[in-house]
Amino acid sequence: MGNGTEEDYNFVFKVVLIGESGVGKTNLLSRFTRNEFSHDSRTTIGVEFSTRTVMLGTAAVKAQIWDTAGLERYRAITSAYYRGAVGALLVFDLTKHHTYAVVERWLKELYDHAEATIVVMLVGNKSDLTQAREVPSDEARMFAENNGLLFLETSALDSTNVELAFETVLKEIFAKVSKQRQNSTRTNAITGSAQAAQEPGPGEKRACCISL
Amino acid sequence: MAQSLGEDLVQDDSSSLGSDSELSGQGPYRQADRYGFIGGSSAEPGPGHPPADLIRQREMKWVEMTSHWEKTMSRRYKKVKMQCRKGIPSALRARCWPLLCGAHVYQENNPDTYQELAKAPGDPQWMETISRDLHRQFPLHEMFVSPQGHGQQGLLQVLKAYTLYRPEQGYCQAQGPVAAVLLMHLPPEEAFWCLVQICELYLPGYYGPHMESVRLDAEVFMALLRRLLPRVHKHLQQVGVGPLLYLPEWFLCLFARSLPFPTVLRVWDAFLSEGVKVLFRVGLTLVRLALGTAEQRLACPGLLETLGALRAIPPAQLQEEVFMSQVHSVALSEQDLQREIKAQLAQLPESTSGPPPRPKARLAGAQAIFEAQQLARARGGTRPEVPRIVVQPPDEPRPPRRKPQTRGKTFHGFLTWSKGPPLTGPPRSHRSSTSFSDTRF
Repeated sequence: MGNGTEEDYNFVFKVVLIGESGVGKTNLLSRFTRNEFSHDSRTTIGVEFSTRTVMLGTAAVKAQIWDTAGLERYRAITSAYYRGAVGALLVFDLTKHHTYAVVERWLKELYDHAEATIVVMLVGNKSDLTQAREVPSDEARMFAENNGLLFLETSALDSTNVELAFETVLKEIFAKVSKQRQNSTRTNAITGSAQAAQEPGPGEKRACCISL
Repeated sequence: MAQSLGEDLVQDDSSSLGSDSELSGQGPYRQADRYGFIGGSSAEPGPGHPPADLIRQREMKWVEMTSHWEKTMSRRYKKVKMQCRKGIPSALRARCWPLLCGAHVYQENNPDTYQELAKAPGDPQWMETISRDLHRQFPLHEMFVSPQGHGQQGLLQVLKAYTLYRPEQGYCQAQGPVAAVLLMHLPPEEAFWCLVQICELYLPGYYGPHMESVRLDAEVFMALLRRLLPRVHKHLQQVGVGPLLYLPEWFLCLFARSLPFPTVLRVWDAFLSEGVKVLFRVGLTLVRLALGTAEQRLACPGLLETLGALRAIPPAQLQEEVFMSQVHSVALSEQDLQREIKAQLAQLPESTSGPPPRPKARLAGAQAIFEAQQLARARGGTRPEVPRIVVQPPDEPRPPRRKPQTRGKTFHGFLTWSKGPPLTGPPRSHRSSTSFSDTRF
């Protein structure tokens, strides 16, 4: 795909994982980016990240997934975490109702720090623990619909829906980005030269990090 | 209550590889290294490790120093400091760490406290959070593999005790790795009091609900980078890597998760002796090792590559002797640090939530702690108190900044002393390791 200095992806989308401590954010990250899962993965104390490039149609999209500590007190030092994020997976544990009960608080936290146009998916994790479920699917799905969120139930342990969750979010982001570009092209036609100057010139690289 | 917790843990861990191999020897049993890490690489003492007779000499020195600890700390602290920099012999850490951090005094003065805390039921909310994390601290260390083992149980007891001792502080996940390293060397009661000292005297404002001092120290670290490693600082600015993206795990865990284990222990030896200044020196050394050359910076065109570089320093460069000698030569004195802390504190924006950081509540190491304890005893108190005089920054404009003493030092973007003064430095007026004295008073 060209010489060594060209990037081999067209887009970089930053996606953040948020939710209470212990719901499985770190394992969702490792399952998606490295196909790994560990019962004993360490508590996340700082900020972790990992990347994976996926194809959406003909576009190569590098997903930059960020993970951080869920415990409340860390929010004091993680506000920078949200900067430039275009997608978020708000994760709760299907087997622990209290992790679902605080989802609204997490949404508020997200909207306080991130762009209003951020794509959000509500994720009910640990679907493999069928006997221990404490949050009915319908309830969570309804909440998601009422709040404009995507929704899926996943299991980082047995991989159920993990790929689908991330890909859905990335596709949604991609659709928004494409639409925005179409809109700005249309605006160019109306407003003329002023906008055209912002398009990348023939020799320039395309903008790499898109924030909506 | 301990019973029901035990049941919960067994249930959660029924598929945990760790506990299975403990009970049934399933799978190829991997050897634990000399520090207890299963499959760890520290099987033999590494290159640069001191020879056995040197270790014996150091052991004898420490035995001698610790048998008259008050006399040693009153008159020969410099020797303690030097020996801590060289590294405490493994056999003696259990004896020396509580002495250095003053935990032994607290324990003597409060002989029943820990037992009472251990017996009391914990706050259910904290207990759930702590229990969920027990198998996630050092999961690869043989002591912490089994949920019923003395590692995880000790961790539970110590962390629970802290939430009862300081309910307004509660539990911070970073206390887990810190307590775990203490428990690798000490019985739970001693480990508890050492944890108290670290959380209250060495690093107040780190582990509480607002972590306000972590934010302050992140700003201080950036300011020090700007002064000592200006090109690296510029690069970090350009790629958008702020200190909060890498510093918290380093400082909160005292590097327990970021360095090879023998090096972690050396850092702790120096930290318990000299205080938070050591954390800054270690951080600056790591940043220089990762990004100090132009080639390294060129290889990191963006944020992710830069953060990746900070995590991927070759282990050979982190080997204890090689690494610590660089740490101890970082051109950052206690005075420099206090000056920068004061400057950054004045510039910190008003926070809408949480208390402001109080860096003056920090005691800078073993000597300061010892002096505070002596003072308390002289006053007839049983609890050594940290002086709580808070100096408000004055309202009038600051006087023009006096050029700092640069005799014998060169600051051309080099991090360490060049041919400059020896480690003990030329005699200077504010030399003590207690905090910066405000000349207005």
